[in-house]
Amino acid sequence: MKALMSVGALIGVVGILLLAGMTVGIVPSNTVRLLEGYMPVQVILELTLFVAGFTGLSYMMASMGMAFPRFWQGILMWAFILLYLKFRVYPPIPFSVRAMYGTVSLVAIFMWVSANEEDWKKFKQPIMNILDAQAGGKRLLRYAYLIILPLLIGGFSYNAMVPKSEEPIELRTVHPAPPASTKVHGKTYTLQTSQNPYRINLEGKYDQDYSNAMTVEQGMGRLMKPNANPWDKDAQGYLKYVREGGEIFYQNCHFCHGDNLNGRGLHAFAFNPIPANFTDPGTIAQLQETFIFWRVSKGGIGLPNEAGPWASVMPPWEQHLTVDEIWKVVLFEYWHTGYYPRTWD
Amino acid sequence: MKNSFSLKAGALLTTAFGIILVSGSTGGLAFAQNTLPAGFKTGALAPEPSADMIEAGKRVYFTKCVWCHGVDGAGDGPGADRLWPRPRNFNQGTFKIRHTASGELPLFDAKKPTPGQNDLFETVTHGLPGSAMPSWEGILTEEQRLQVLSFVTTELVKDRKFTDKQSESQTVLQLGDLTPIAPTEESLKKGAELVVEKKCVECHGADGRGDGNAFNLKDDWGFSIQPANWHKCWNFRGSRQDPYNVKNIFRTFSTGVNGTPMPSFADNTTVEERWHIANFVNSLCEREADGKPLAIDPSADKPKINFVVSSGLAVGEIPADPEHELWKNRARRFIAMGGQITHKPRNFVNRIDDIWVKSLYNDTHIAFMFQWDDRTKSVAEGKLPWEPTSVNVDIKEQEPKTGEEGSIASHQNNYTVYNDAIAMETAVKWKELPSPIKPRYLFGSNEQFPVDIVKWEADGSLRAFKGTGWDKDFEERFNYEDSIKLLHSEWKDGRWTVIVQRPLGDKKEQEYDEDTFFEMGQYIPTVFFAWDGHNGDAGRKMAVSAFYYTFLEPPTPKEAYIYPIVIACGVVLLEGWVLTRRSNKRKGKTL
Repeated sequence: MKALMSVGALIGVVGILLLAGMTVGIVPSNTVRLLEGYMPVQVILELTLFVAGFTGLSYMMASMGMAFPRFWQGILMWAFILLYLKFRVYPPIPFSVRAMYGTVSLVAIFMWVSANEEDWKKFKQPIMNILDAQAGGKRLLRYAYLIILPLLIGGFSYNAMVPKSEEPIELRTVHPAPPASTKVHGKTYTLQTSQNPYRINLEGKYDQDYSNAMTVEQGMGRLMKPNANPWDKDAQGYLKYVREGGEIFYQNCHFCHGDNLNGRGLHAFAFNPIPANFTDPGTIAQLQETFIFWRVSKGGIGLPNEAGPWASVMPPWEQHLTVDEIWKVVLFEYWHTGYYPRTWD
Repeated sequence: MKNSFSLKAGALLTTAFGIILVSGSTGGLAFAQNTLPAGFKTGALAPEPSADMIEAGKRVYFTKCVWCHGVDGAGDGPGADRLWPRPRNFNQGTFKIRHTASGELPLFDAKKPTPGQNDLFETVTHGLPGSAMPSWEGILTEEQRLQVLSFVTTELVKDRKFTDKQSESQTVLQLGDLTPIAPTEESLKKGAELVVEKKCVECHGADGRGDGNAFNLKDDWGFSIQPANWHKCWNFRGSRQDPYNVKNIFRTFSTGVNGTPMPSFADNTTVEERWHIANFVNSLCEREADGKPLAIDPSADKPKINFVVSSGLAVGEIPADPEHELWKNRARRFIAMGGQITHKPRNFVNRIDDIWVKSLYNDTHIAFMFQWDDRTKSVAEGKLPWEPTSVNVDIKEQEPKTGEEGSIASHQNNYTVYNDAIAMETAVKWKELPSPIKPRYLFGSNEQFPVDIVKWEADGSLRAFKGTGWDKDFEERFNYEDSIKLLHSEWKDGRWTVIVQRPLGDKKEQEYDEDTFFEMGQYIPTVFFAWDGHNGDAGRKMAVSAFYYTFLEPPTPKEAYIYPIVIACGVVLLEGWVLTRRSNKRKGKTL
């Protein structure tokens, strides 16, 4: 037990020092990076480690006779969560969302400190001590609180009432419901039955298993499989079409969606909403190929009404590309990210 | 094939000639190898990477890099012809950002990515901001980055050899051992004198906005390039994602930029002089009003964006002089600009990548001050091949695959010159738009929800249009044009300053259905457009911003002074109640 707790304590101390160092800039801020696509898991893992660390730390201190009051534990834990959300998570979370997480964690901490009568008593003891103090520093502290509290609350309310300009929050449907069919270059495509004509095996038949076996490998770097190079001179069928799709991608799409299809292209910083990140498991990996075909063909302007605001700069690609080119680009996007398109069944 | 060979040979000759020229101009030092420039030390060539590394790197290259840099590393991949600057041609071994002396190969060792000792690794890690080369950190592992570089340096650099002791040398800038000089006023003053003395301003312009003789500059391959704009340090290729770090400027200035007209100044400046110059150049980069560096968004390597352009209340006339106190004290907003690549003719290379906007309003009018860097003042020479108001989707645009001759990079500065211009698009009847109150992004939704476009052009015209959709021609609004006014327009040392005044569109005075109503305290969707006439920008070939919001700051209401006091008093009463209750309870207990 003791060994386990010491390990926990060690994790806690090292983690806090590392985090503080990275925030202040003593330790290079990229020492522990949040990895693209793995970020949510990483954040949860880190927080879990910290909780384990704190538990260990508190246990160690208690066993060394320096027990840390429950009251301060609660407050520090809450402050830690708020600071973590503000400084660690990138891209930054808007204040309103942080406020929401903050409230939830506050409730959780209250539940923790009031789990039983004894804990609750321990928790409110410091407050009672200040309220009841008859003399000394605590009494002074009480008067200080009595003066500072109204000033602070008055100040906050003034701050809240002074006109300020904050960007209005916009909610957007990221994946709007697709139509049953879409008409591109004069031909109607039923989304549920259409297939990518280039996802074919060497016999020329539609074959998702064949193409899935040829996409890049998952894991860091997402590199192509050694025996499946689209730039091989002898590349046939699917791989050849992947290369052709890639050529179109790097002539048209990478300006926004980026060289690594992560939505960080040359022009991406200027636009809002930012371009889709295909390496994120929440975009093309969640969608059918025909959905992508529809979105690419119709662009931001072709979004259905419920998907407003139509602030997207995504071009309706049917203005620039042929149907074949669009299918090839879709093929390339799945190849390069290593995701499999979702099927209807 | 033959063509590309002769080009390479030519480039090689030019490089060779360039080296002779540079070493010649350093005072004809016959034993240049023995006298190292200040701050440099002789280094050793790194050993050849292992065959495994090279083989593994090939796999990385053909997954990630080939798309721009090409099968043979000649910088001619499928994406190359629509990029400017063009992707690097590795064949000649010419690399821009180095710690090594001018003309030498960069530092690369497949074994140890020590900071400051591995130029190519750092380039791949941090990317080249201001170009399409992204940062590969977090995408490729360290190992993978070293692998791909092993492949590039051995297989794709064809004219030179990183391990050939006969022909290659490494003279390494000892940047780690040099301590920067503090950027005191004196240092900055010396720096300002030195950039004139060393003729930096000839290319970089009198105010450092890269507007010197920008027209005659070509790189080793004959592609047009432009001198850096010192006011946008986040676009410095060698900024290593740390744009306000003076060491990066010192390094570039000491080693030069291979393949470009930027020479190394190591031989004709002392280390101290170089620090003064670096300090001065660094001091020019855009900063907050209090002198702090702008916050940089690490995912884009550009200044962070706030989408609210707030307009301040001015009593009386809105001043026409940008130096007026009211304008000077106004906070400015950074507006990021991207190319208009939604509808034809698309603008893959936008030379205006940001503008700065300030705004003031009084009881009848609102004024916007636009400031943006443009290396060239352009007033139309040719007549537009189409009406500027018309939809020109049939226009011929840059072909995707043209070969180097027809690429955007070789066409730069060769376009018919049109007007520089700036415009803002605001929604008409925005209050009636479904929430959130935004019309369709480009040129309005339809007849029912049109947008209002006010456009200033460098020939002095100020016009107003109504846009009713991307596929509709604009209608010019002659009656509105009478009520908008150009307060100021000037191009100086690579920067435009334009102030445009327009009515608030108060419901009582103006036609609400036709004009944008700038209502106090409300968020009015606004888009900015910019044109660089020397980039061939005209009509819909332009730079665009995202949707921003114009916000007229309301004066502080009286309630903001009353309620907080009431609330504070309430808290005092509450405190009194808690204390009394507590003390009664205690008394009850002790009694």
